Amino acid sequence: MKKVWAFVILGLSAAGVALADLQEGFTLLKKMANASRQLNYSGTFVYQHGTKSETSRIVHYVNSAGGEFEKLEVLDGPAREVVRNNDQVTCYLPATKTVVIEQRNARQLPVLLPERMTDIAENYTARKAETDRVAGYDCQVIVLEPKDNMRYGRSFCAELNSGLPLRSRTINEKNETVESFAFTQLAIGGSFNRDRVKSKYAAKSQNWRVDRSALSASESTTDTGWVFNNQPAGFKKLTEMKRYIAGRAGAVSHIVFSDGLAAVSVFIEPRPQGRSVQTLTHQGAVNIYTRPHADHMVTVLGEAPAATIMQIANSLELRSSTAAR
Amino acid sequence: MDEISALIDGELDEREASRQLSRTAQQEELRKCWEMFHLIGDTMRGDCRLSPHFSRRIAERLALEPTILAPRRRIAKRVTAYVLSAAASLSAVALVAWVAFSANPLSAPQEVAKVQAPPAAAPVTAAPQLASIPSAPGQGNMSEYLLAHQEFSPSTALQGVAPYIRSVSASQPLQNR
Repeated sequence: MKKVWAFVILGLSAAGVALADLQEGFTLLKKMANASRQLNYSGTFVYQHGTKSETSRIVHYVNSAGGEFEKLEVLDGPAREVVRNNDQVTCYLPATKTVVIEQRNARQLPVLLPERMTDIAENYTARKAETDRVAGYDCQVIVLEPKDNMRYGRSFCAELNSGLPLRSRTINEKNETVESFAFTQLAIGGSFNRDRVKSKYAAKSQNWRVDRSALSASESTTDTGWVFNNQPAGFKKLTEMKRYIAGRAGAVSHIVFSDGLAAVSVFIEPRPQGRSVQTLTHQGAVNIYTRPHADHMVTVLGEAPAATIMQIANSLELRSSTAAR
Repeated sequence: MDEISALIDGELDEREASRQLSRTAQQEELRKCWEMFHLIGDTMRGDCRLSPHFSRRIAERLALEPTILAPRRRIAKRVTAYVLSAAASLSAVALVAWVAFSANPLSAPQEVAKVQAPPAAAPVTAAPQLASIPSAPGQGNMSEYLLAHQEFSPSTALQGVAPYIRSVSASQPLQNR
């Protein structure tokens, strides 16, 4: 009898520790998201995917009203800049004299809300791991292990005091890193200066070609008439809309799925003539699968394994009641 | 006037916005203000591709449209969405295309296509006759899709702008279009 109780107590305390670990993991995740949004920082980071790596300079400033301003400047290869403020992302591509503008919808920001945290907990186990050092700062490693092979694992290293993520890795089922972001130099804090988050091409680009993407209605989600008969476990529909994508003819249906951490976007556009092949490519951890569906071209992409992306693409159907529209 | 500015910037909540919209619809002065602010915005963005009296001619075209046989409330909602999309700084051409898309699908697109036919059309968005925009084969222009996807990804909430490098990465076709 004593033995049984010993087991029960042991079991309970083990579960307690696991739960505490889990909770701590999620608390750190939240702290990380807040730090990324609320802190001023500037530094240099390396983006690695496959055998390629690119170095960029990044500046993030928050004004007194809580407005976020960010600039990313690629330092290798052709010059490129991305400026992001509250409701707009602008890419400057001097090599082709192009500006690509993506209008965001403030109400659809991918904020890590508590309910999203529940989704993460359903699909991943969060674990506080060892401490490490990145860009001269001590940081805490947080590992998110997927509960099945429909999603990638993630590993973050968050700066000990602020919680700012200094390194992020996406890990596949073979435990290989498919993509990583890591600061090599970083300054946290500093006073606000709008000029540092403005593009040096802002004035020069006046006569450049402008590619603009935007949402057709900034209000709520719309029913696109498309349904999914076999979406991967754990992925829930976040939003659904009709919108404009730069360089695409006609309105594009855009449906977003998420398991709390990874997101998968489905784009459905009228099929351009002569395009009927299926393709599967990737950009770092983002797999991109394109296939024709009747008169439409379907593109599914997201930071998830190719099998997940393809399953979503192949489970797409036009709802019969709306097929006539 | 400040209210108009706030409306255009999307700073009003739903109720205030709809109140302001109906006020704007009733008062000529506010309407002029609305137009002027958009003109200023477009000019500042170097977006002046529209011919004079563009909105008046659109209104005339719309007046010629067949009446949409739908419950009144839905029409009202469409109009709201129309104006709100203007508030979201869509280019006016995209707006036309949006009308084409959301109004009666049988008759509207042709009508709007005619409106858009003059060189006023920007090579930015939508409309059937703009399908001739060069589009790379195979992978296509995935950068725009990557960019559009990025804002919905929770990883953006965790890492800020850094993941946007995927959209402008040197291996992307966006560079060699």
